Amino acid sequence: MFEARLGQATILKKILDAIKDLLNEGTFDCSDSGIQLQAMDNSHVSLVSLTLRSDGFDKFRCDRNLSMGMNLGSMAKILKCANNEDNVTMKAQDNADTVTIMFESANQEKVSDYEMKLMNLDQEHLGIPETDYSCVVRMPAMEFARICRDLAQFSESVVICCTKEGVKFSASGDVGTANIKLAQTGSVDKEEEAVIIDMQEPVTLTFACRYLNAFTKATPLSTQVQLSMCADVPLVVEYAIKDLGHIRYYLAPKIEDNET
Amino acid sequence: MGILGLSKLIADLAPLAIRESEIKNFFGRKVAIDASMCLYQFLIAVRSEGAQLAAVNGDPTSHLMGMFYRTIRLLDNGIKPVYVFDGAPPDMKSGELAKRAERRDEAEKALKAATEAGDEAQIEKFNRRLVRVTKEHSREAKELLKLMGVPYVDAPCEAEAQCAALVKAGKVYATATEDMDALTFGSCKLLRYLTYSEARKMPVKEFSYDKVLQGLELTSKEFIDLCILMGCDYCESIRGVGPKRAIELIKSYRDIETILENIDTNKYAVPENWNYKRARELFIEPDVTDASTIDLKWTDPDEDGLVQFLCGDRQFNEERVRNGAKKLLKSKQAQTQVRLDSFFKTLPSSPNAIAAAKRKAEESKKSANSKKAKIGGGSGAGRGRRPK
Repeated sequence: MFEARLGQATILKKILDAIKDLLNEGTFDCSDSGIQLQAMDNSHVSLVSLTLRSDGFDKFRCDRNLSMGMNLGSMAKILKCANNEDNVTMKAQDNADTVTIMFESANQEKVSDYEMKLMNLDQEHLGIPETDYSCVVRMPAMEFARICRDLAQFSESVVICCTKEGVKFSASGDVGTANIKLAQTGSVDKEEEAVIIDMQEPVTLTFACRYLNAFTKATPLSTQVQLSMCADVPLVVEYAIKDLGHIRYYLAPKIEDNET
Repeated sequence: MGILGLSKLIADLAPLAIRESEIKNFFGRKVAIDASMCLYQFLIAVRSEGAQLAAVNGDPTSHLMGMFYRTIRLLDNGIKPVYVFDGAPPDMKSGELAKRAERRDEAEKALKAATEAGDEAQIEKFNRRLVRVTKEHSREAKELLKLMGVPYVDAPCEAEAQCAALVKAGKVYATATEDMDALTFGSCKLLRYLTYSEARKMPVKEFSYDKVLQGLELTSKEFIDLCILMGCDYCESIRGVGPKRAIELIKSYRDIETILENIDTNKYAVPENWNYKRARELFIEPDVTDASTIDLKWTDPDEDGLVQFLCGDRQFNEERVRNGAKKLLKSKQAQTQVRLDSFFKTLPSSPNAIAAAKRKAEESKKSANSKKAKIGGGSGAGRGRRPK
């Protein structure tokens, strides 16, 4: 028996919105420690890793480890049926091939439940090695979303260059070039508006705008976003989900093709 | 032409072996393409008002047109093609070739009759049937590829076999073909519909050899025997044995020798002097150039060379050719997007997942499905795919 209950459906809605553009389907791996989802997009360039801790739920019960393969588009459709303030409960039997999602209005007067078929997904799990990132940038999530959106107009790819002074995003294409520099915030008054750079070594990496823009769909989940970079390894874009867990996106860089 | 009904059989019995995706998901991949088949397709399909495109002197240029634009399209999508040209056909194929020649003769006669009758539609139909790829066509195509900076390989014998050898040696990611025998030759990956025209919007089908074997529950040797039973280019097959019967026979007897001992010869007519052994050898040890000696290089296109080659007598539009060459150069310079799999390694299935898969497998067994559930498919493959 698996049962997980969240006070507000809006969080689950936002989580689905944050992953459904990249992934058509995904497997929710449930255990007594919580729910995890890890999946690559179709082209195997980016990876989504979602962790929801059991203690973040209002109620969480998982007797037996369970993998629920879901069509994320369908899941998002079901969640659209919920009001933001509704309680949401996910339920499944141990060997079930369906999952039940139940919404209860705050005053308990309206209860709706939806049953969705589960899928048998053949997905490979990737081992993500521990990495000491040479640059870790924390910045307002809205700011990052804005930068990605703006730069995407200039080029397919954006160059992120991180130094002690700050972080620079640039793009160049047929129209011209664009550069956006963010300096490290001097004195931190409001933590959610600060730009904080933790740098061991300067890094310059190139990434595809398309994926970065897909990641910023998670912006409503968190005020801050954290970018971790290291030469020649994938970028990590992390959004914390308050009291519940986090969503991490990994993105493989673009490189110069040295092959002749 | 390939193995009869193999793709349908795989779709029915080993659906996990097939994955559909868009062409753009194959960026950065190198693929081997059977050039002779491409040329044939182009000669048939690239036409204007029913007639082949032709140079001033009447020689067809349809194949060059097709080759030029298809290669650009592939490179534009970040795919690096290698074209493999057929060498001499193996003598085992003579039966099949004789049949084809016979059909051609028939078409020729029919064409004459149609011309006399003045039936336009029939004339066109039989005209197409008479199309064949000549050495001259291949030579021109090679010259074009050289100018475009795209590598090609001359196979000593069958192009499909050479493609498979390139895949097996890790020189390229997959064989792109519509002909299923590349799988019989052991090409780890086979892409179908990659070379289809864009207008058709067909998703690319990716066949994985190891999953085909896993799904059909066969060894590679048994798979070859299955293909021979289903009907290949190299020898006849037993009349009355179709794909369904073939897989049943292979599963019960495991090889053709045992099948022949047990089969009811009154019901199924085994061909006289059936040379399935030679066919099998051809599949197991085809005549190919050692892939490790082949060096594949993609170079910058020679724009002026292309203009000189294609325009002039061959009547290509110079502006379009120059645009094409620019596209080639651009795709050459673009940065390459790396895949995550090259950084992160696939994990062996978690105990959780294996347990779940086992439970599901047991259930599906209970439901007495004729498709057997596969448990713990990791035997030897070691790729850590979650068994189903």
